[in-house]
Amino acid sequence: MTVLREFWHKKHLYLFLIPTFTLLIIFSYYPPLFAIYNSFFQWNGFSARVFIGITNYVQLFQDARFVGSIGNLLILLGWSLAIGLSVPLIVAELIFNLKSSKASYFYRLMFILPMVVPGLVGTFLWRFILDPNVGLLNLILEAIGGPEWRQPWLGGTRTALISFMIMGFPWVGGTSVLIYLAGLQGISNEVIDAASIDGAVGMTRFLRIDLPLVMGQVKLMLILGVIGGLQAFTSQLVLTNGGPGYATMMPGLVMYQEAFQYNRIGYANAIGVITFLVILFFTFLNMKYVRSSAEYY
Amino acid sequence: MAKQSLKYRIQKMDIGINIILFILVLLTFYPFMAMLFMSLKDNPQFIHARWVPTLPLHFENYAYAWKAVGQFVLNSIFVSSVSAIGGVFFAALSAYVFARFQFPGKTVLYMLIISLMMIPGVLTLVPQFLLVRDLKLLDTYWVLILPYLAGAQPFGIMLLRTFFEGLPHELFESARLDGANELSVMRNIAIPLSMPIIGTLMIMNVTGTWNDVLWPSVTISNVKLKTIVFGLWSFQSQYYSSWGPLNAAYTISAIPLIIMFAFTSRLFVQGLTSGALKV
Repeated sequence: MTVLREFWHKKHLYLFLIPTFTLLIIFSYYPPLFAIYNSFFQWNGFSARVFIGITNYVQLFQDARFVGSIGNLLILLGWSLAIGLSVPLIVAELIFNLKSSKASYFYRLMFILPMVVPGLVGTFLWRFILDPNVGLLNLILEAIGGPEWRQPWLGGTRTALISFMIMGFPWVGGTSVLIYLAGLQGISNEVIDAASIDGAVGMTRFLRIDLPLVMGQVKLMLILGVIGGLQAFTSQLVLTNGGPGYATMMPGLVMYQEAFQYNRIGYANAIGVITFLVILFFTFLNMKYVRSSAEYY
Repeated sequence: MAKQSLKYRIQKMDIGINIILFILVLLTFYPFMAMLFMSLKDNPQFIHARWVPTLPLHFENYAYAWKAVGQFVLNSIFVSSVSAIGGVFFAALSAYVFARFQFPGKTVLYMLIISLMMIPGVLTLVPQFLLVRDLKLLDTYWVLILPYLAGAQPFGIMLLRTFFEGLPHELFESARLDGANELSVMRNIAIPLSMPIIGTLMIMNVTGTWNDVLWPSVTISNVKLKTIVFGLWSFQSQYYSSWGPLNAAYTISAIPLIIMFAFTSRLFVQGLTSGALKV
């Protein structure tokens, strides 16, 4: 009774929440449930659904295109985590060690500035650079090692996946640099002074003091990187559509093609559900094992 | 003597760091510089000297490109500003209630919102498409606004709640003693004090909507309603060999964001660095 009375007494508070929850119920809660439901059906999106149990899931793991795409995904994910965590940390550490605050601001601004160019434009520009005939990369390679150093890049079965790894060189993610810098700046001057008196400078300080104290940021970006990386397929969609062959196929791209080219909604949804379960698993791992004393908000 | 040599060593270190960082800046910027060079070339210049600036500059490429993608830019400005302002507004209303009040079901409702951050876009893309198709929203501006409004809620509420909770209680108490109602306390105290974080959130939402290509690619087929990034995708396959205008269109796609950034960069750089994203 008291809960009900309190509820009634504070009913005006719930009014503030109505817009959020109206939007969320329609566009955020309903679709995933609908996807899970559909994944147990054979459905083209128009005619009647046919219940087929877990057949979609079984078929997926016999689908060479999907199984192959998982390998591609793991390679690209591993690569993007390795460079996405390390390069911004090195750059943040360099900026942190600058004495001049003007210079520090200049570099922070410069590295965040590419954010204003749409990601897809960056992808298209890298296709120019990787162009097999007139691209800059082949031009440079030929100048160094002669014509046999030229590569087909996005067009070659063996080089297509590598092309996606090269894109974005030198991989300084501005937002990540700023997040790391926030962590480094949170280290108190006393700690750094005390360390330098004890002779901890340069590499020693980095390994013994800075790195442990930004582990919170590292973990945050690790989990964000895994969640983002598992779903990535836009560049593949617009540049190669998974080819040549299935050399750059991604699970998300299989889903996109199944849903929007072949109208196999149930099958496509099964891929979405699997991705969700994998992400859930990593989130769980993160909460159980790697979550440190640092609190996520 | 020892002091001097230490100072000298620090200066030398600073120069070294500056050189490394500057090279990284140049490498990061080169593709975008190349885009600017290429946007001002005609086809012969492009074929003979693609990777370096050439004269004369062909500004007419921009006029040509604007004719092709101008409408897309205006569409993007409209949908990304409406969804950013609306999304942050609704998130602020909810975040304020979560930050300042106790009420039955508070924890459960908050967890319900936050748990949405674990739902990947890959899972929702297809069913969301079917939903808006059945709601007859395909090929309307609504389809480019409503899902983004919803998408902005979880992260926005989380960020704003944390920020609102950090504001000093005394401010709110004194305003209430002066007889201000809750809405005016929010409008006159909480919101103005939170402008850096609200600005940061707005920029994140604008760029998110601006850059999205998957959602428009499945929900929009009417050329008049295309957003710029989705429009570029079709533009670049149609005009693949008119490189000058193509690169001019790429540049145009970034100009509104550059203008926004010019006014807000200090806010954003500081907002992020000062731990807006607390870890």
